Amino acid sequence: MHPLEQLRDDALREIESARDEQALETARVKYLGRSGSVSAWGEQMKTLASEEKPIVGKLLNEVRSSVTAAIDLRAQQFRSQKESDALTKIDISLPGTQHEIGALHPLTQMLERSIQIFRRMGFALADGPDVEDEWHCFDALNTPPEHPARNEQDTFYLPDGRLLRTHTSTVQIRAMQAGPPPIRVIAPGAAYRRDEVDATHSAQFHQIEGLYVDKNVSVADLKGTLEFFMRELFGADTAVQFRPHYFPFTEPSLEIYVKSKALKKGEEWVEVCGCGVVHPAVFEAVNKARGDKAYDPEKWSGYAFGLGMDRLAMILFDIPDIRLFAQNDLRFLKQFA
Amino acid sequence: MKFSVNWLREFVDLPKEPEEIADLLTRAGVETKGIETRGAKIDQVFVSQITTSSRHPNADRLTVCEVDDGSGTKRQIVCGATNYKVGDKVPLALPGAKLPNGTEIRKSKLRGVESEGMLCSAIELGLGQDAAGLLLLPPEAKIGAPIGDLFPADTILDVEITPNRGDLLSHFGLAREIAALSNQRIAEQALRLPFGKMAGGAPALRKKGVTISALRECPFFSARKIDNVKVGPTPQWLRAKIESVGIRSINNIVDISNFVMLELGQPTHAFDAGKLKGDIDVRLARDGEKFLALDGKTYSLKPDNLVVADQERAVGIAGVMGGEETGVTESTKNILLESAYFLPASVRRTARNLNLPSDASYRFERGVDPQIVLRASHRATELIREIASGTPTKEIGTAGKVPGNPADVSLSYEKCDRVVGIAIKPKTIDEILTRFGLRKMSATKTAKWKIPSYRRDLQRDVDLIEEVLRAYGVNKIQGNDRSRSTPSSGADRSHDLESALHERLSARGLWEVRTSKLISRSAIAFGDNAVNLRNPLTEDHVALRPSLLTGLITVLNRNVRASIERVAIFEVGRVFVPPEAREERHLGILLWGNAISAPHWRITDVHPFDFFDLKGAIESLAIAAISFRRGDHADLALPTEIYANERAIGFAGQLREGRVDAPGAVFVAEVDVDLALGGAELQKSFREIEKFPTVTRDIAMIVPEEISHATILSAIQEPKEPLLESVELFDLFTEQIGAARKSLAYRLTYRDRSRTLTSEEVSAVHAKIRERLQRDLGAELRE
Repeated sequence: MHPLEQLRDDALREIESARDEQALETARVKYLGRSGSVSAWGEQMKTLASEEKPIVGKLLNEVRSSVTAAIDLRAQQFRSQKESDALTKIDISLPGTQHEIGALHPLTQMLERSIQIFRRMGFALADGPDVEDEWHCFDALNTPPEHPARNEQDTFYLPDGRLLRTHTSTVQIRAMQAGPPPIRVIAPGAAYRRDEVDATHSAQFHQIEGLYVDKNVSVADLKGTLEFFMRELFGADTAVQFRPHYFPFTEPSLEIYVKSKALKKGEEWVEVCGCGVVHPAVFEAVNKARGDKAYDPEKWSGYAFGLGMDRLAMILFDIPDIRLFAQNDLRFLKQFA
Repeated sequence: MKFSVNWLREFVDLPKEPEEIADLLTRAGVETKGIETRGAKIDQVFVSQITTSSRHPNADRLTVCEVDDGSGTKRQIVCGATNYKVGDKVPLALPGAKLPNGTEIRKSKLRGVESEGMLCSAIELGLGQDAAGLLLLPPEAKIGAPIGDLFPADTILDVEITPNRGDLLSHFGLAREIAALSNQRIAEQALRLPFGKMAGGAPALRKKGVTISALRECPFFSARKIDNVKVGPTPQWLRAKIESVGIRSINNIVDISNFVMLELGQPTHAFDAGKLKGDIDVRLARDGEKFLALDGKTYSLKPDNLVVADQERAVGIAGVMGGEETGVTESTKNILLESAYFLPASVRRTARNLNLPSDASYRFERGVDPQIVLRASHRATELIREIASGTPTKEIGTAGKVPGNPADVSLSYEKCDRVVGIAIKPKTIDEILTRFGLRKMSATKTAKWKIPSYRRDLQRDVDLIEEVLRAYGVNKIQGNDRSRSTPSSGADRSHDLESALHERLSARGLWEVRTSKLISRSAIAFGDNAVNLRNPLTEDHVALRPSLLTGLITVLNRNVRASIERVAIFEVGRVFVPPEAREERHLGILLWGNAISAPHWRITDVHPFDFFDLKGAIESLAIAAISFRRGDHADLALPTEIYANERAIGFAGQLREGRVDAPGAVFVAEVDVDLALGGAELQKSFREIEKFPTVTRDIAMIVPEEISHATILSAIQEPKEPLLESVELFDLFTEQIGAARKSLAYRLTYRDRSRTLTSEEVSAVHAKIRERLQRDLGAELRE
């Protein structure tokens, strides 16, 4: 064994057994320092015979690099160890850093969910004012004066004779006045009813109105659309039932009931929507206002629906009292974050 | 309306279970909202007879009765009622009986006197509404017989009749509907009205004794005189029937009138003929004409109110309510029985204007079958003859004409299929419509149908299609997918803008609220002269909000009361700007309390919300060219106007003390969303990322307190230095530098977009800026 090899083995053993960074540094100085033993061999090289020089020189290089590598490795081990030692002291059960967040009101969440579903079916949004006139709210919707369904008693009036719309169906009329068929819109918005306030009634509530007018629109199309909506909202296994009903502005008129295991209400049919085929008298009123025959009831037909958002949110989130929505107690709102 | 199943069964066969009847109706659009069982077998209640009665020794209001319960031994019962006399037959509940209201009868002592059971009122047995006294049973009732023998069990359906179906507001009408839906014929006897033989044959109609001055409002009127009636209590069978559906018994004449209305749907009215002065005229009221109605109130009438009058005064508000002065009383001898057809719109207007809805007006305004007017008169007359031993005159005085039948309606089978969305066989359609009483008049592709007189709601082809759909079954129609693409609208973009606002602010830790657009009288008003409602119902909702702040402050107060320590809320919604209630979409923000909701080990900087939290929230909305200026606002300390592109878009500030319950500063802002962001360019575009490094230099300075950040900023930025990229304020304090002074530190970032800057270039520019600050602002620069 060449003395250099002996030196290397000694150095590696010493490095390996260094207990701490200080011991390692001592070893480094001892072998690689300016007057260290490996360096000393560099000096000694000068004295060697010329035929020996390349052999010993090569060996010396190998020894120096393997000792250097061993020192680096050992130093890395010490650093890792130190890092781990420092980090193991950290109590990872401490709570994470919080960032204040807010959230949308449950009714807004309900509206957004509903709007997304209808948008997937190709409905655009439409809009109309909360403060309306009697013509848009009643007359144009086939509810002339003295019609039993024209409930002025339940309507808020302004001093100038205008009123707060009692349903978003007014937007049906506005949408049809604004453009010719085909029309495919939903209109989210507020509606008002002059009614005693209790757990299920509030003076102001929220609806999504829908209107589709095209060639040959039928009850079957209406069913397809709203069944899809209900199943998207309440789950694929939701049972949807359509029952005949009466609204002045649709004929036939229907009410939708759903039953779903996902709901706390369980196996009970709950009413969620009024809908129907647009009454030809509504088209006739629109035509008269437009001064044309754009909505010829013999050429075009349509369906309309009105979804009560407060009611749907109450059913979906199992909220017992409609008044909670307007109270905005943060303890309530945080439940829907 | 409430319906007795027993009563319905007189006309039509019904499914055995009430739930099946309810289901049949509900599926066809006649929603049954409630099912109630009445007069079910009540064990241990028997017919008894009171044999003696004496005062309770220890209680003035009680009596001690001895009753015969048919067992042979008399029982002693303590009783609180006073409406009986010795010899009356009454229901006796024996110990062990359980009454429908849950009361369990036990042997007990009442004020020291033993009572071996209880004598019952109608309401206690669930047999009627009368709670005033004991239920007096007919004299022929057999003593000891179970009470169930007298009152067979019945089921009461609570059915919601839609306003278009006035024809269903009677037992006969609903039975007819059930017959059509279940494909059976209504009982023959029900069609042969009046049920039973008319004594002396059919009466003659004579145009006498009645005139109509308002033929439009009253097309037809009939009056029949019935003499020598004996007004008195109503026989139990009839009383039980009307009471079972919620009508209170008054006397036999009035009860008969109500009975006929419940049976046939036609309201009739009996006048005390002795109190009428001369012939009847149906006319419009005189303006201000006073009328004392049967409800004991005096109404001031208007010329659009139709009245039934004698030669001196109004004796009835037509179709709504009779008069007190001519009403039937115990002393009435002769009566005049009215049965008429009134215009639905007229009755509705009158009932509404007088705020006097009645069972009669409810039916008239929904349309009564004109063909039933005289039949109802006959039916009532026969009952009065039998029950009140009246002698009807042989003639009925009439005026006007019974309205004709509704016009025929044409229906094309093809259109029916088109509206429903599936093909239904013409034969099936014919069969359904025939069941509903329609008659096919022509056999073509578009058939003409004759409409029965009671279905005035069937006016156009779609009305017939609905009948087909109802009977065919909506649930048999397969849903169809008619999705199609639609271009987005202005409303879509407006909605998406609102959603973006929602996301920004909730991500900043603000909670979205939705408050009522109707505000209360006591609410703190922002912007005076909120548009009031003409007809508010409660003090909570009297006006349309002119601002979102009213609602936000209400939410704050509620949450402060609930000990919430951090209220950071916002709302985006419509407000109504006075005076014309113009609708604008606003954003409101309110901040109060701690900026951090809960103490946290990592967070040491726990500060209460301040103006800059509010300003930061508004700045996060990326409103173009936004600026904040001192303004003027009565409700705000620190009033600030917000501008975008030199246009005022809203305000921000701190609420003046005393405006709210919450302790500490409340920060509020309100912005017109569409003014602020309406024209905002949503389109974003790429700009090349800078390749060359920046050089930063800080400037720390002390300036007089009154010099604003904006002034310093403009001194740094103007005149414009091309190499200066940005300026950030990173420190601000006022402590330990003497009064009326403040220390600020800015970081200036320099960059050239096309090359690397040298230190010398930057130093030259920076020195110029430093000099400007010293010269223009007198800033004391710190090294």
